[in-house]
Formats: sequence, C-alpha cells, structure tokens
Amino acid sequence: MLTEREIISTLEMLENEHLDVRTVTLGISLIDCVSHNPETLKNNIYKRITQTAKKLVQTCDEIGEKFGIPVVNKRIAISPVAIIAAAFSPSELVQVAHTMNRAAADVGVDFIGGFTALVEKGMARGDRSLIESIPHALVETDRVCASVNVASTRAGINMDAVYLMGKIIKEAASLSADRDGIACAKLCVFANIPQDIPFMAGAYLGIGEPDAVINVGVSGPGVVKKAIDRALEADSGLDLGQISEIIKTTAYKVTKVGELIGREVAESLNIQFGVVDLSLAPTPNVGDSVGEIFQSLGLKNIGVPGTTAALALINDAVKKGGAFASSKVGGLSGAFIPVSEDLNISESAAAGYLSLEKLEAITSVCSVGLDMVAIPGDTSAETIAAIIADEMAIGVINRKTTATRLIPVPGKKAGDNAYFGGLLGQSIIMPVNNGLGDNRFIRLGGLIPAPIQSLTN
Amino acid sequence: MKKVIISVLGHDRPGILAATTQVLFEQDCNLENVSQTILQSEFAGVFISSIPESLTVEELNNQLEKALGALNLYVFVRPIRVDVATYDAPGSEPFVITTKGPDRKGLVAGITSVIARFGANVTNLSAVFKGGDDPNQNIMIYEVDIPWRIDQNAFQKDLREKATELGLNISIQHRKIFEAINRI
Repeated sequence: MLTEREIISTLEMLENEHLDVRTVTLGISLIDCVSHNPETLKNNIYKRITQTAKKLVQTCDEIGEKFGIPVVNKRIAISPVAIIAAAFSPSELVQVAHTMNRAAADVGVDFIGGFTALVEKGMARGDRSLIESIPHALVETDRVCASVNVASTRAGINMDAVYLMGKIIKEAASLSADRDGIACAKLCVFANIPQDIPFMAGAYLGIGEPDAVINVGVSGPGVVKKAIDRALEADSGLDLGQISEIIKTTAYKVTKVGELIGREVAESLNIQFGVVDLSLAPTPNVGDSVGEIFQSLGLKNIGVPGTTAALALINDAVKKGGAFASSKVGGLSGAFIPVSEDLNISESAAAGYLSLEKLEAITSVCSVGLDMVAIPGDTSAETIAAIIADEMAIGVINRKTTATRLIPVPGKKAGDNAYFGGLLGQSIIMPVNNGLGDNRFIRLGGLIPAPIQSLTN
Repeated sequence: MKKVIISVLGHDRPGILAATTQVLFEQDCNLENVSQTILQSEFAGVFISSIPESLTVEELNNQLEKALGALNLYVFVRPIRVDVATYDAPGSEPFVITTKGPDRKGLVAGITSVIARFGANVTNLSAVFKGGDDPNQNIMIYEVDIPWRIDQNAFQKDLREKATELGLNISIQHRKIFEAINRI
C-alpha cells in the first residue's frame, strides 16, 4: 500500500512543478549503411532510421500516458555522419542532411542529431567535408543538429578546427540572417563530447555503441526549485549542507522517473536501454528555469557574485542524487545554463547581472558551456574561435565536457534582442570583449597539447 | 482448524487492542492478521484468528462482547468459510487513480461504479482532506488492479467522462511511478 504522502507529493511534482521526461532519444548506428554510392548511402540511411524509429513516438506517448509522465521530446541520434559519409563532398553531405531531415519528419521527431565530426586531434577528409557542409545543411533543413568535437583531455585542443568553426558559425549565421542566425542554434562545438548524450543539439551515437539504444534525458529544474522553496518555508534556518541534501533527494526522484520510463520504452521497442542523462534542462516557461534556483538559494540573480559557488553546489548535488538513483548514468549529467532557453537567465543577462565572462566562469562547474548565447552579428570569426578556445580549455583542463552554442546575430548589436522561438527562446545580445579586434593567437593554429594529469593545481 | 473474522467498532480510546487480544489469548486463539484504522474519532479493527475446535463462534462472541461492551465498543464475529470460492483475480496491473475536486455526495459511488463495471478491483481506497474544510482540497486515492484483458482505452475514457460529470480532476497512473519516486 502506498502512503497518502507518497501519492500526493508525486502528483504535486507532476501538476505544479513541471516534472517530465525531457527527451527519449533513440540512438541508431548507421555504420553498416556505408556505401561508395551516395544514393545507396542515402537510401540505406533513410530505411534504417525510419524502420528503427517507426514506433518511437507512439510508444513514448503510450508509456507517458500509462505513468502519467509526459515524454516531452522524442529524438534520434545517429553515428557521426563524417564517418559514415567520409567519401563524399560537402554538397553531397548537404544531401545526406536532407535525407536525415526527411527520415526524422516521417517518424515524427523534431530533432535528429549526428551531423557530427570528431576532430580533436586532426581532421580527416570526411571531417573537413562535413564541417564545410554544416552551414548549408543546417540552413536548408529544420530538424538536423550538428556537433563538432574539437578538443579532449587526452588529445588537447585542435586550434585549426577551432578557427575553422569560428568561420563556419559566422557563415551559418549569415545564411540564416532572416531568422536571427537560428542555424547556429543547431550547432554545438565540444570538448570531451560524450557518446551518449540524449539532449540536442549535441546528441550523436558514439562508435562504441550498439546497433540501437534508448537514452533518456530527465530534467526538472522546477521540481528542484520548489523543493528548496518548500524546505526553506518550513525551516528558514536550513544551511547549505542541508539544502544540498534536498537537491540530492529531488534529483534522485527525478532520475528514477527517467530510468523507469526509459526502460519501459526500451523494453517495449525491444531495444537496449542505455543511460539516463540527469541534467537540469530548462525551458522558456516560468517555473521551469535553472536561473530561478539561484534566487531560491538567496542570490539576487544568476550572474552576481556567489553564482559559481551556488552552481557548484547544485551541480554536484544533482549528480550525487542521480548516481544513487541509477547505475546507468551518462550523457552530460548536470545543470544546463542555456541563456535564451531559460527565461530567468536571459532576463538576468538583460538586466546586466550576467556577462559573457561570468557565464564562462560558471561553466567550469556545470555540465555544459556557453549555451545559446547570442552575440553581436559583427563579432569576427577569430573572436568567436577565441571564445570557443577558452571554453574548450576549461573542459580539457578540468577533464569535463564543455561546449559552445554561440549565435552571432546578423545585423544586431549588443543590447538588441534576438528571437529564436519555441524552446529556443529569446535573449538579449551579450557584448563581446574585443569582438571585432585582431586575434593573432587564434591564427597561429596547430594543436594545444594535452594537459599533464598530475600536479593538479 | 477453524478461522473467524472479528470486527470491532467504536469510539477510539486507549485499551481497545489490549482488551480484544487479551480475550483471544485467554480463549487459546491465534491471531493471524490484523488491520485497524482510526477515521476521525472512530476506531475500526478487523482481526482474523484461528480458534480451537472446542470453542464456538457464539462463545467467542460472548466473551468479546463482555470485554468490549464495557468500553462501549461493538463487536461482530463470523466464521470464515473455506469451502466458498473466493474472487479469482485475473491477470492485472496495479494503477493508482486519484480524484480531486469539491466534495459532494456520490463521488466515490460514481467512480467505483465505472471501476466495477470494467471488472477492475479496488485494493485500497483512502480520502485525504488536505486543506481542512476546503472542499476543493478533497482528494480520493483508489489503488486499483486493472485486468489486462479489458479495453484500457475505453476504461480510461469512461473514467475521465465520469470524473468530468462529477466535477473532479482525475489522474490514472501506473503504481510503479509512485514507487520509483518515493522508495529506495
């Protein structure tokens, strides 16, 4: 018999605190779809995706209904296209993106990830073609997401790739100038990219993964915030150690939900269950914000002094709770701070509490990086590359994942607003230090060597 | 071996369980299962006990009435017949149905009529008045075994329609979700 408390608290989480499963992402290996003929390759890709994912959306909806927990997004992640289509030209790769887009549309998923290259130590021919094709691939499709891993703790930072990505981002923005550079919202540049991320835009299926796998992304910033608010209301004398316990317990509950739903979906589709990514992923809805958690913890806004310490506490407590809840944890696992996708964070930026520099600082203690950050459209490719390089360095040195999703909004300057719509939200454009200036450091290129693993200060 | 079921009802006060079980002990009965609750100020207990062949149900009833009557409690003893077929539970899955809405007559009757019509079995029912007297905070929790063989969609549809008719918000969720969230 369940207790009344158990039932009522669960209902509260669902009804008032936005508890949901943020994404069920089906990973599909396309390695054996390879062909020397582009038409054959595209046919193989389309068939494999549509057959494997045929029942994904329906199954997620049915299981969501059964448990009363909505599966908000259903998505697909595929093997890195730079590998399966390594033999082709950039224009042929754009056609592969179209095939991915069509397959995603036909099975009813809103995003498909895996237009990906892994170039942390150097670029193969296929990698270069893929990267060059990214602007057109993202502008001509609406569901395809791209990611490029340019750095890792074991390899160092491929600065040639970093510089190239600065140029690619500029090109993608200018090709989607009529929509505030929205193509860049579907492009992530990574250090230490995990092979099993379920969240977009960074999801792809790693080479070490099976034919098909179900990965789940849980969320729940609203649940965490409400739990902190409730606890402080009941006892205003709680200290940070006790608040950490509350976040941990809440993360445990959220993760258990994700694992339950993920396993049910996997079993129902007869596909292996992969990991739960226990991230706090916000949406632009009020009450579903990571930024609001900082205010519950007593900070005026995200970005003011104290933010890094608070985020370190939140991120660590989320990981501890999640790791206890499930032995299959992976992906990014931590707190996301996507500026435009979190109403509270974008408002903090607009009010001047959050700068690009502070944002970079706090990415050293959270799970991702400079995510959905709108910057002036005239920021140079070199400066964009330099921002990427700084973010990659944080990941490489700290043995963690970092990423950038920067949007140089064409024709707009710092202080203007950028509108992306839907889950991508809107944001004030943040000023960039030395946005137009020369940056010889970036042009030097080459590889920043992998860091020493001892003398850890 | 004979078995009886005993129910004890009355105003709650200290000593009810002690008085009941003392009689059973003195009569050489063995208590097999107990469930008791207090609703508002009223005690209700149900006891299953095996009793010696030599002891009649009437005699046990008399002894219990003597002991519990002094505490102003009502007692009822009945033999459990093992030869009567019990409800044969079909294969099913456990769900939790919760309704929330202003209190009025006929809420439980309305909801349980749909549950019964589909052959689903309520295994536990409890009411929670969260906000004291606030009729909008009236929550009913039904734990229900829903047979696999029934039309799940029709069942959910009928329940939701009935809830709407009664002015209730309803949610129907598999029990596992509550266990996953609340239990280690």
